[in-house]
Amino acid sequence: MSAAYHDVAYTNGYEFTQGKGYELPEYPFVEPPELKTGEVRRHPIVIIGAGITGLTLACGLARLGIPAVLLDEDNTVGVKGASSRGICYTQKSLEIFQRLGVYERIAAKGIQWSVGRTFAGQDEVYSFDLRQNSSYSLSAQPPFINIQQFYIEGYLVERIYELGHVDLRWKSRVSGFKQHAGYATLTVDTPAGPYALEAQHVIDASGSHTPFHAWTGATMTSRRGDDRWCIADVRFKHRPPQERHTWIEAPFNGNRAVWQHLMGDEVWRIDYQMEPNADPEHVSREDVVRERLRLQFGPDVQAEIVWVGPYAYRSQCLDRLRIGSVFFMGDTAKIVSPFGARGGNTGVADADNLAWKLAAVLRGQAPATLLDSYNDERHEAAAQNVMVTNRTARFLRPAEGMERTFRSAAISLARQHPFARALINTGRMAVANSYTHSGICDRSGGLSVQNVSFRWADHSAGCVNDLIEWTGGQLLVLVFGDISAAAAQRLRHLGSAAPVRCVQVVGPDTRPQAREFVIDPQGHLQGACHVFGHAWALVRPDAYIAATGESVDAGLIQAIERAIGIKE
Amino acid sequence: MKTTPHFQDADTFYEQLLDAHTGLSREQSELLNARLILLLANQIGAKDVLAECIQAARELPR
Repeated sequence: MSAAYHDVAYTNGYEFTQGKGYELPEYPFVEPPELKTGEVRRHPIVIIGAGITGLTLACGLARLGIPAVLLDEDNTVGVKGASSRGICYTQKSLEIFQRLGVYERIAAKGIQWSVGRTFAGQDEVYSFDLRQNSSYSLSAQPPFINIQQFYIEGYLVERIYELGHVDLRWKSRVSGFKQHAGYATLTVDTPAGPYALEAQHVIDASGSHTPFHAWTGATMTSRRGDDRWCIADVRFKHRPPQERHTWIEAPFNGNRAVWQHLMGDEVWRIDYQMEPNADPEHVSREDVVRERLRLQFGPDVQAEIVWVGPYAYRSQCLDRLRIGSVFFMGDTAKIVSPFGARGGNTGVADADNLAWKLAAVLRGQAPATLLDSYNDERHEAAAQNVMVTNRTARFLRPAEGMERTFRSAAISLARQHPFARALINTGRMAVANSYTHSGICDRSGGLSVQNVSFRWADHSAGCVNDLIEWTGGQLLVLVFGDISAAAAQRLRHLGSAAPVRCVQVVGPDTRPQAREFVIDPQGHLQGACHVFGHAWALVRPDAYIAATGESVDAGLIQAIERAIGIKE
Repeated sequence: MKTTPHFQDADTFYEQLLDAHTGLSREQSELLNARLILLLANQIGAKDVLAECIQAARELPR
């Protein structure tokens, strides 16, 4: 191991090196009331870290009218001094952002693409067009959008200011922590001095350098590899085609991998895989970056370098995502390599999972045990995402010897036969993870519901997110097909006795029996709920199915109780 | 996983396998074997059978 190799910071963050960078918004530090009065106040929820995960949670709570304090050590979005991290947001994340009210801005600024091409050497190994993939086409949101992470963060900040309820405290660094029974004490350093506050629920979304792992004695599994990459975010005078190109073995990069994709502002992100012992300072020097661009795009390439960042990655998964009053989410819960966009997107899903549960508990509509299901569900997702990304990392950086031989075998076969394309692993795109052993989901539940469309009673267009918005953080019972008078009576009673809203879903020519109903002319809503024929589906505020069943009976009541954490 | 004979013609297969490697360097042979394993694995498909085959290959007789 050379000295330079040792010096590489193992981080999933991107360190700013050079390039013009982006201009980022700055938010004001406001002296908190605790500093004026010296009073230690107990807050129901304190979130640490205004990254994409912490802001998604804060915005989700604000939308439900739940008060929270958000502490961030910086006064802007993006990592301090750097500003380019995640770039790819999947359909599930976009559906969540639509509920939070920032989707339209993301869609306007971001880039959609559907053609991806994979190369090895001079040849194309295979290509795909996502528009041909029907599983994505029913949602109101596209398969994914490429956009710089800080834009989404900025939109979320502005949305939170608009909604209120969440106190955004900038330049507030947590420097001390003490766990007590049922709450924790935090020490916060600010430009105006330190103060203490108490929190019933501490949400650690502060990223991969969190101090909370040490403070809480969190245990985890970690793995470090020697894979090294260098990003160049560039603007071209003559833009390449709007397609994602990936090279497993790029002749212009020493037969190592290269990723090329477009983001907002006509900026292209090019990821270059480096030698394992590459010196990060050397590979990110402007003349070295320009030489790589010339090798890839030709000697006359005209490009403005917006940002350059070398990075290495590790994989890490906490054993438990909740310790006492502290909940871990985003990069504090797990760290993955960037392949497949499984970092940021799963952080967003972590936040969406916990937001409605915290709201239900703080409103007194669910017992505190509901919060234990956060670990059940999101730990399963974290472990799955770590496994999937480790497999990709192993394909892209095979050990010398047999691992490399098998990769050569797979690549050569993929050029000749379609079956072998399944073995080419340049990243498996993040998905809405399923929950197979959650304490609050039935065996029939645990699946995500796409944001498909239907017709309201007056025949105007609606989508799943509209129904979820209408429930205001409560569970949604959808009953498909005809229902008996007795069942209609039961549903009416249920709607007034439990924290649920009940809606009948009928075909285009069926007469509804329930008070609230929608029309599902093409059966898309029913398909999205993973049920057939006469059935009910219990949909959670995070657009996951808690359970499904056939008749409106005691089974539905039990499913509702279970979904809000009342143990049988 | 089948452990009883399933070959239509075991001797011919074995001969074809050896012939395919004749004249190859060690590296070329390794690549051929790897390609063959991937082709055959796709014929099997079933993940439980594949896992059993990998495990059985690891267990040398004592």
